[in-house]
This record gives sequence, C-alpha cells and structure tokens, in this order.
Amino acid sequence: MAHGPSSSPASAGLNRKFHGCSSIKDYDVMDKLGEGTFGEVYKAKSRKTGATVALKKILMHNEKDGFPITALREIKLLKMLSHVNVLKLEEMAVERNKAAPGEGRKRAVLYMVTPYMDHDLSGLLDNHEVRMTVPQIKCYMLQLLEGLRYLHDSSILHRDMKAANLLINNRGILQIADFGLARHYDEPVPRKGKGGGEAHRDYTSLVVTRWYRPPELLLQLRRYTTAIDMWGAGCVFGEMFKRKPILTGNSDLNQIQIIFDLVGAPTEESMPGWRDLPGCDGVREFAPRRGSLAHVFNDQGREAVSLLYDLLRLDWRKRINAIDALEHPYFKTPPFPARPEDLPRFHDSHELDRRRGNKAAPPPAPAGGTVGMGPNGEWTGAGPPQSSGIWMNGPDRSGRGFQDRGPPGMSRVPGAGPSYDRGPPLPPGHRRAPWGGDGHRHGHGGPPPPESVRHPLPHAPHPPYGGGYGGDRDRGGRVTMGAKDTYVPRYSDGGRGREDRRSRERSLDRRSRSRDRQDWRGHPFQDDRAGGRRGSIQSDRSGNGRNGSHDERSERGGRSQEERDFYRDRRDHRYVDRDRRHTRSRSPDRERDYNSRRDRERELYRR
Amino acid sequence: MAANSLASSAQLASSASQLDGVPHHLETSLVFAGSALAQAAGVLLRLPQEIIAQAIVIFARVWVGSEGASLKEHSAKHVSAACLYLAAKLSAHSRLPRAVLNVYAFLDALPPTSLFDDAAALDDPGPKAYYLTEGDYHARRSLMMKLEAIVLRILGFNTHVALPYTLCINYLQAVEAFAQPQGSAVAKRAFAHLNSSLMNPQRLYLTHQPHSLATAAIYLAAREVGLKLPGDEWWEVFDTDREELGFLVVAMISMGGFVEQEKRRWEKSRPPLTVDQLDRELERLGAMDDGE
Repeated sequence: MAHGPSSSPASAGLNRKFHGCSSIKDYDVMDKLGEGTFGEVYKAKSRKTGATVALKKILMHNEKDGFPITALREIKLLKMLSHVNVLKLEEMAVERNKAAPGEGRKRAVLYMVTPYMDHDLSGLLDNHEVRMTVPQIKCYMLQLLEGLRYLHDSSILHRDMKAANLLINNRGILQIADFGLARHYDEPVPRKGKGGGEAHRDYTSLVVTRWYRPPELLLQLRRYTTAIDMWGAGCVFGEMFKRKPILTGNSDLNQIQIIFDLVGAPTEESMPGWRDLPGCDGVREFAPRRGSLAHVFNDQGREAVSLLYDLLRLDWRKRINAIDALEHPYFKTPPFPARPEDLPRFHDSHELDRRRGNKAAPPPAPAGGTVGMGPNGEWTGAGPPQSSGIWMNGPDRSGRGFQDRGPPGMSRVPGAGPSYDRGPPLPPGHRRAPWGGDGHRHGHGGPPPPESVRHPLPHAPHPPYGGGYGGDRDRGGRVTMGAKDTYVPRYSDGGRGREDRRSRERSLDRRSRSRDRQDWRGHPFQDDRAGGRRGSIQSDRSGNGRNGSHDERSERGGRSQEERDFYRDRRDHRYVDRDRRHTRSRSPDRERDYNSRRDRERELYRR
Repeated sequence: MAANSLASSAQLASSASQLDGVPHHLETSLVFAGSALAQAAGVLLRLPQEIIAQAIVIFARVWVGSEGASLKEHSAKHVSAACLYLAAKLSAHSRLPRAVLNVYAFLDALPPTSLFDDAAALDDPGPKAYYLTEGDYHARRSLMMKLEAIVLRILGFNTHVALPYTLCINYLQAVEAFAQPQGSAVAKRAFAHLNSSLMNPQRLYLTHQPHSLATAAIYLAAREVGLKLPGDEWWEVFDTDREELGFLVVAMISMGGFVEQEKRRWEKSRPPLTVDQLDRELERLGAMDDGE
C-alpha cells in the first residue's frame, strides 16, 4: 500500500473524526422553524463557518430495521447532486443524548444539515407584502427550469414538484427541495426539442401532490416520464400569477375535470392514447370542451400564455422539457428576467413566529375534525382518525395541517418539509391530528377558512418505496372514507414497492455524469480519470487540483500541526514501542469509551 | 454515477486498527476474512452479486484510515453483517435482519475452512449448531443496527458504490470479444477476477476506478483464455494507461497466492473475527514474540 507523501488533501483526512458527519455541538440551535408529525426543523448557526443552516431531524421510527430507508435514499440522491438550484445537503449531524431514565441505552438523533433558506415560494406568494413583478417571476421560473434541467439530465425524477418545495433565499436564489419522493429515472434523459420522450418501464402512479399532478398520472399512466415534473412547473408558473394554486381539485376526479376545464378535454389529437389508460376512478369519458387557459391568463401576455400551454400540454410526449422551456421566447421578450441578486429582500417569517405573535388567528380546522382526537390533537386511539372531507387526505404526512401552505418561509425551510414524513407511521399513541402539527395551532374545530385564506393542499400519496412500504399497496391501502381520496396507510411491512425499486441501484451506477463529487469522507472527489491512475498515490495528487475545498475543510477541522505530528509519531512507533501498543492514540475520548464499550460488546457475544 | 470515491493516501497509510496495535498482516487477514464472510453470506441470502460486491466495498472502506473503524473496537464479523444488511437495504433486495443474522450464525457453525470453500456445499452442521435463541437474536440485531449507524457515520453517509461489471461487458462488446468463440469464456474469467479483486489485500476497489478494474480484468482474462484483442494500447481507449494496467494485473494475479497463504494460516483455527478473539490472538502473538 502506498505511503505517499502527505500533502494537503492527505492531511485533511486527519482533521476531523468523520467527514460529512459532524456533531450537533458544532451548531448553535436558534429557532424551531417548523414542526410536524414526522419531523422537526430548526434554524441553527454553524460554529465553524458561521453559516446559518436548517437542521432537519430524522426520526428513528422503527428501530428494529435500523436507519430509515427513505432517509438513506434521500441522502444518497442528494449526495450525488450538486447544482445551484437544488438544495444542498451539507452534511449530517449527530446528537448524542443521555439515556433517559429507564430507557436503556442512549440514542443518537440525526439531522440533515442544509443551507438556511428564507422562504418557500408558496409562503412568499401568500405574503401580501410581497409583490411579484414579471421580471421576478421570470427569474424564479428560469431557476426552477435550470434545476429541473439538471435533475432530469442527472436521471432524477423529483415527483413532488410544488410551490411549497421551492425554497427561496434573500439573495434571490431558488432551490428545489424535498427529494423524499424522488427516484432514479431509468429512461433516456430528455433531449432538446424532444419533449419528455417515452418511458419503457412502469413506475408507481401514486406520486405528486394532487394539485400538481399531471393528467397522465391522474389517468394512471405507469410509464410516465420527466414530463410529470414539467407539469408541476407549469402549475407553479400559473400560481405565481394568480398567487394561489391554479388547479385545486378536491378529489382525483375533480382534479382531472378542472384540468380539462383549463386546457380542454383530451382528444386523440391533444392526448394520443389517453383512451388506453385505466382512467380516473373508473371514469373514462369526459365532456368535450375547450380550455379556458388563454382567457384565465389573458392579462399575462401572449408569451406567458404560450409557455403555460407548453408546460400544461396534455400529451406528455409533447409537453415541453426543461431544456426547451429555458429557450422559450417568454424569457427573451421584455420585461426581461431580473437577476437573482437584484430581487428585493423580504422579511422571512416562519410559522411559529406568526403563531407566537397572533394567537387569535382563526383556526379553520375542519368540522368534526377532533373526533377521536385528544385535546392536543393527538389520536386517542378510539378508532382510526376521521376523515373530514376535502380538508384532509388521510393521515397527514407533513403534519402541516389543513393548510399546507403557510406564511412565508414557514416550515418549508431548506430540507424541511415532508421528505421524511414518509417514514413509517408513528404508533397510534404518538399520532397527531392529521391536520395539526400540534394542538394549539389548529386543533380545535372551527369554520372553514375564509376565501382569502389559501386552500388546503392535498398531499402527495404515500411513496411507493416509503417507510410504509407501499408500492404494491397502492390500491389496496386506499380506503374510501367519505372523501374520495383518502389514504389509510397499512402499517405492515409487507409488499414493498418492488417494481419501483428494482434496478434503482444498478441504474444509479450506470450514470456517468461528471459533477462535483466527494469521497465518502467528504473529500472532494477526483473527477478526472487521468488523475485516477497509478494506484493510491494519485488520489493525493488529483486532490491537489481541488485545493480550495480541502483547505477550507482543514481550516475548519482545526487540529494543529503538532497534534498531527504526534499522530504520525504514534504510527511510526507502533511496532517499536510495545508498552504503548495498546494506547489509544487517536483521540483521548476514545480511550475512555473503549473499555466500557468493549465490555458491552463482549457481553453481547457471550449471550 | 460510474465513478467511486477513492481512499486518500493518508487513509491508506494508516488505519485505526494499526493505531490500536493490530499488526498490518493480521488486519489484512481479518478484512479478507470479513469480506469472504460477506460473500458467503450474500450467496446464502440469494443476493445478487452486485449487492454483495457493494457490501464488500463498503466493508473495506470502513477500516481504512485513522478515522475508520478499529478491529479492536468493532468485530469484523458483525461489521460484515451490518454492511451486507445495509447494502441489501439500499437495493431492491432488502433482507430481514433475522435472515442476515441466521446466515451469519450458520456460517459460524461451519468449520474454519468454510471461508475458502463454497459454504453452501459443506456438510450441514445441524440446526442445533446454529440456532439463534430469541435473546441472542435481539442482542445481535441491536448490535447490527448500532454498527449500521457507525458504518454510515464513518462513510459520511455516502453509500454509493460504482461497480465495474457492466463496464466490463460494455468494453468486451466494444472490442468485439463476443464475435470470437472464446468471448463468453473471457467474460466469465474477467468477472471472476473482478469478484476476487473485491477481497484483494491491495484494496483495489478503494484505489482504482471501475473502468480501470474492468480493463485490467479483461486484459488478464483474455491472456488466460487466449483471446486476441485489437492492436496495441487498446486499454488507452478505456482511459487506463499502461502503468495502471500493469499494476492492476499484477495485483490480480497475486490474489491466488494470497488466498493460499491465508488458507494455510487459518487451517486449524478461525480468524479472530470478534474483538475478544482478536485480543486473545494479539496476546498469543505477543507471547510468541517474547519467546524468541
């Protein structure tokens, strides 16, 4: 094994215990940003870099299966992505807790660390103080399309495109977040002028939040393409003009009807092959009508309507892809898109702040919503949580309640949101009201929200491969309880989404896109193959080419040169100095832990 | 993503185990034995080879560098099980913890030579020998989950492993190997080299990218089978230069001798794959040194 000269990247390896994985002590936790049934998000400041970050807690629901698979998958995807318009996973942070009395061994809590983003688009649109100018809309739209172009080119389907998953910071940067439903796309990536192309394998059709779900998904096309994300982009585009979601169906069937109201009923011309699809809730006939889109968006000008038409095209094969959308004349006619840095800054306000300040806000919880719920909205165990018409859509994954869209920036903090909401459901005792993150928020019954308040957002279906282990469960787990679209998750482990996961692994390997990579300890990854030669020494050498990030890390790591020398000494002496052989040399705390840990493990083996 | 994260030279230069006083040769032996265990268990669990390969690469990564895991702290055997469980979980072929633990208990009950033979072909030691009591099961499962978390932390949650198998077939197609009668024999032989390289003491999967591994495996296999490959320097087309190719081929050839040596070494006794056994082995080695 090569003992190459220890140059800068090499010594960076000694600086921190685990790269890509730090302690929660490295962060000053400031505020709680959001709270939901399945996760909490905190605003925090990094002690090392001073950067403001968002920490998203990963709850260990099912200890017996180890680390949650949904979280692992999201992390794996995020680690492979690097783009200015995709939320970055900075690292993972570990919090070690003292064991609570009577709880046995202590548990570590893990956090995903992402940059702090001030708003999400949905919150921004809700904020009456924020005016959306056309250059601003164009600017956001361009960034959204850039992000989508990158994702699709990297063979990733996002599958939960919606305004609430688009985060925006005060520098005008928009980032796509929440990859909890994302998966690898096994088909050829979109090409210029070719629309979405065609898929050759089945995917689960239970993805995408209903209001942003494209018609082909509602008609249960299984071989869908990257075009599903483009539909969502179209919905977001329209939403920026109307400042509220444009297609707010209260059931799948209603959703497809209002889609056809907007863009016209399908014909063999506008949506070839639609008659061969299973249909929506068994309905396969739709009254012929012409779409009202041009009329509805009349004020936005010809180019905007044209882009909307392209994005909201019924034929998924012809729907415009991100590459082409970026070239759309809309962005090339005045008023021109603003530059992100020229956008105005807005106050970020988070849901909790708003609650603190204004406790008397009308709690528009659905009528009858508290049946079976305790005073704090938790489920008392008296039968399954009640469905309450359009207000809810089965157990709320996000716990964000009846009103999925909050005030600006609320809970949709970076990496916040429902990514891990898809973990296995909590045991009944811990369930919260499906529409309420916690009781005092909107646990009590009340009138439906006034017109001015945004509609509740229906939720994305449970993930195909999610903690609930759906997939094959899709239809089976669907129970009609008053509302059309109520999902009741099955709590069993059976029937994982096999078809959906198959070859995910394999196909990820196939991808050969070059982008910023890191080695598994978080070193920048050598990308050029030329550098990858001559055994182990060269990893060193090619690392030099990327000094920037290495240096940054080594500065952060902060172990002194003396210390490093000490370690080197230790290594040199390891065969010479017998007495010191058993000395723990890497870090003092390891020595302390060592004996007790060994004893513990020994015990386990003996049993 | 067709490329892997490679180990830095600092990571290769030292390891936590060595810092803890485990001699290099013993460490090599144990990492090999743990990988062989994962391979055997993977076969018994009917996992596809690509998942077994990913598990072995993850397993190898865990021990590398001063910040990796130490054999004095974590038992190779249990880490091997955790890596296999993790790799399977990330794939479309997840296995229940109980299945993984049962298979490891079964392999434990086999004679020491089982590491070097096809475990499935050995005599069944009888269910009593490998029965896991409920208590054992729970203890081992929670240990496995703990180790899974430790593995993830050491890897910085980077669980991606790129493998050379598909590339290997692509390259063989590119050089039109399958047009010749020995084509499929070469492919099999190349895959065999790729499989055994997973356990190569030179940690080839941690130091070389899949495309180079595939190229070297093809070069060696074609030599062995007698397949004629296109003119000079064909490997350059696959981004592998002569020097790297030479290094890899020599390393792959050396694998046979290494396994023989390991086989002789652990003929009588089991490799010390737990922390306890390792401590005893180190004491024994220490006593032998003193005796000299």
